[in-house]
Amino acid sequence: MIKKVVYGLGALALLLGLYGFYSRLFIGEREVNYGSYVTWGLWVAMYLFFAGISTGAYMLATLDHLFNIRLFKGAGKYALWGALVTMPAALITIAFDLGHMERIWKVYLSPNFGAPMAQLVWGYTLFFAVIVVSLILTLRRPHMFLTRVVMGIGLFLAIFLSGGVGALLSVNASRASWHAAMLPAQFPVFSLTSGVALLMILLGWFTPDDETRRQRVRLLGVAMIVLILVKAYYLWVDYSVALYSGVPDTARAVGLVLFGQYAWAFWGLQVALGMIVPLIVLAQPRLARNGFWAGLMGVLVLIGFAVARSNIIFPALAIPELEGLTEAFHGPHLNIDYAPSVMELSVVSGVVGLATLAYLIGVDALPFLKKYEVTK
Amino acid sequence: MSERLSEKPNDARRRNFLRGLAGAGGAAAALAALDRMEAEPEQVAASLARAAAAVPQTVIEAGDNADVLIRMQADLARALKKQPAERRWVMVIDLRKCVGCHACAIACVAENKLPPGVVYRPVIEEEIGEYPNVTRRFIPRPCMQCENPPCVPVCPVYATYTNAEGVVEVNYAQCIGCRACLTACPYGARTSDFGYTYAEGTPNADGLILGHDAADDYERAPNFEYGKPWPREGHGSPMGNARKCHFCLHRVKEGLLPECVTTCIGRATLFGDANDPDSVVAQLIHRPNVIRLKEELGTKPRVYYIV
Repeated sequence: MIKKVVYGLGALALLLGLYGFYSRLFIGEREVNYGSYVTWGLWVAMYLFFAGISTGAYMLATLDHLFNIRLFKGAGKYALWGALVTMPAALITIAFDLGHMERIWKVYLSPNFGAPMAQLVWGYTLFFAVIVVSLILTLRRPHMFLTRVVMGIGLFLAIFLSGGVGALLSVNASRASWHAAMLPAQFPVFSLTSGVALLMILLGWFTPDDETRRQRVRLLGVAMIVLILVKAYYLWVDYSVALYSGVPDTARAVGLVLFGQYAWAFWGLQVALGMIVPLIVLAQPRLARNGFWAGLMGVLVLIGFAVARSNIIFPALAIPELEGLTEAFHGPHLNIDYAPSVMELSVVSGVVGLATLAYLIGVDALPFLKKYEVTK
Repeated sequence: MSERLSEKPNDARRRNFLRGLAGAGGAAAALAALDRMEAEPEQVAASLARAAAAVPQTVIEAGDNADVLIRMQADLARALKKQPAERRWVMVIDLRKCVGCHACAIACVAENKLPPGVVYRPVIEEEIGEYPNVTRRFIPRPCMQCENPPCVPVCPVYATYTNAEGVVEVNYAQCIGCRACLTACPYGARTSDFGYTYAEGTPNADGLILGHDAADDYERAPNFEYGKPWPREGHGSPMGNARKCHFCLHRVKEGLLPECVTTCIGRATLFGDANDPDSVVAQLIHRPNVIRLKEELGTKPRVYYIV
């Protein structure tokens, strides 16, 4: 039943995305709301979001294929498949963000490896290949030493690429609220949390209801409680230090999140829906063992993370580099007040739909994913 | 040099005026080339180059009493005789003289045929104090052409770089439009070209030279940034690219001052070679009342403000 509903939602999301895909591919970037001052918008935030899910899912797959955790035997393939379908989602959103996406090949042929963006393009391409190889090896040679070596390389890449996304932001010395080494340090934890949330959905909703599943989602729920508390601590540290020190640009960016135009999303979606509700529900052992509730909490955590990624990107860019700059010259895409356009939201909807359908079709059509294994 | 310094200012002005008349012939040739805009961009570029070559250097030397524009023309002519690596182009903006007319911003738009949403040199207006004790300050903000530009290392494809003369350029054909450089610039000095034209929404007037089609044709005709023709066709560059002030390098190479400099009604914007101790700019940038924006970031801008 849940699967059918998710199929329907995925198809609907894809349908809603067709307008965005058409607009971006055949008209261009005219209908986006990001621009020359808020240089990166929803698509970059979603790139961070999907890339975080993919790398996080891979981290979870190592529980099975690298660390041989008995409870997760047989669950690694779902995590790997999840990582495989979410990585293209990340790449589509970031490719759509390029003014000349047809020139993406230049990053491969004439890369500036000193640039974080080039490092990430190469890194994620390599990571995608590693996911594919990992999936093949874990199916055909699950006990081979080489399989564990590849999984180890993949884990290393997953951690460093997660941090790399943070570095993409924090290397910008002019953006005070990003320019902290804490950002690359936090991002691998965010990825891990995203991965746990994804696995709660995949196992809770799309595997048979048995004792193994109950134990798995319960354990993931406990891990999620810890990770949410860690994330809450990070938020407290980031925001309290920013406000206390009063560095103008940083304090203003944090002010936009806590009390400004992004406050509704922060308090309503990121904190209440994405953190407090999952904490309460997952703290109830009866609910935490229930696949439906576990999956639902996974969805809420991911919604909270999507908003969290946006609340890292948008507010920092909504502070003008020079006071008065935004009033000095007027024109399209020279705004500082950013909210995603319908077209941007449509693209994200389509990408979510694509990834969802890709996962479900894989689970239903690919023999190795159809075969369900339980812990003896 | 000393002989020229001893000349009466009027003599110099008279000679410059006559040379200017001679230059007008070349300018006419350039206008004729512009009339042929329907030709291929490469042909137009070649025509313009020939026309530019036909323009004699209006002024190549000037005395200390000459208008500062004349002096800067002379500075420029001297600098162009040197190897590019021996020059260090800088801009000096005298905030005491800027009246906030925005002529430089508009001239820049015209010179570089900037579309809506793209601006190289906005003039920031700052209000200081509270009514009735209020004053205003105007701060033109071109690209700072930083010696340590944060925009350059973040480019994933080497599409932006500092040239031999110290000017940060964008290779439009290489740029993938990721806007990492826009994000990295501490001065907001780069804008992205989203492909608009000013003619959009303009009604057409059949049989008249005005109207959408005529305006659109003009807007889509090439500009000549970096010395190459860049027509606005399809989705080709510079649409989709990061764009920025380049000190009008295409003009400078032809012996012309940047458009914002020649247009400034208050002679507030000055340009020249800081490596030439006799140049106007070299004599100004070492004064104690000179500042650079956000010096604490270590970007070492080549744009100096006199306050």
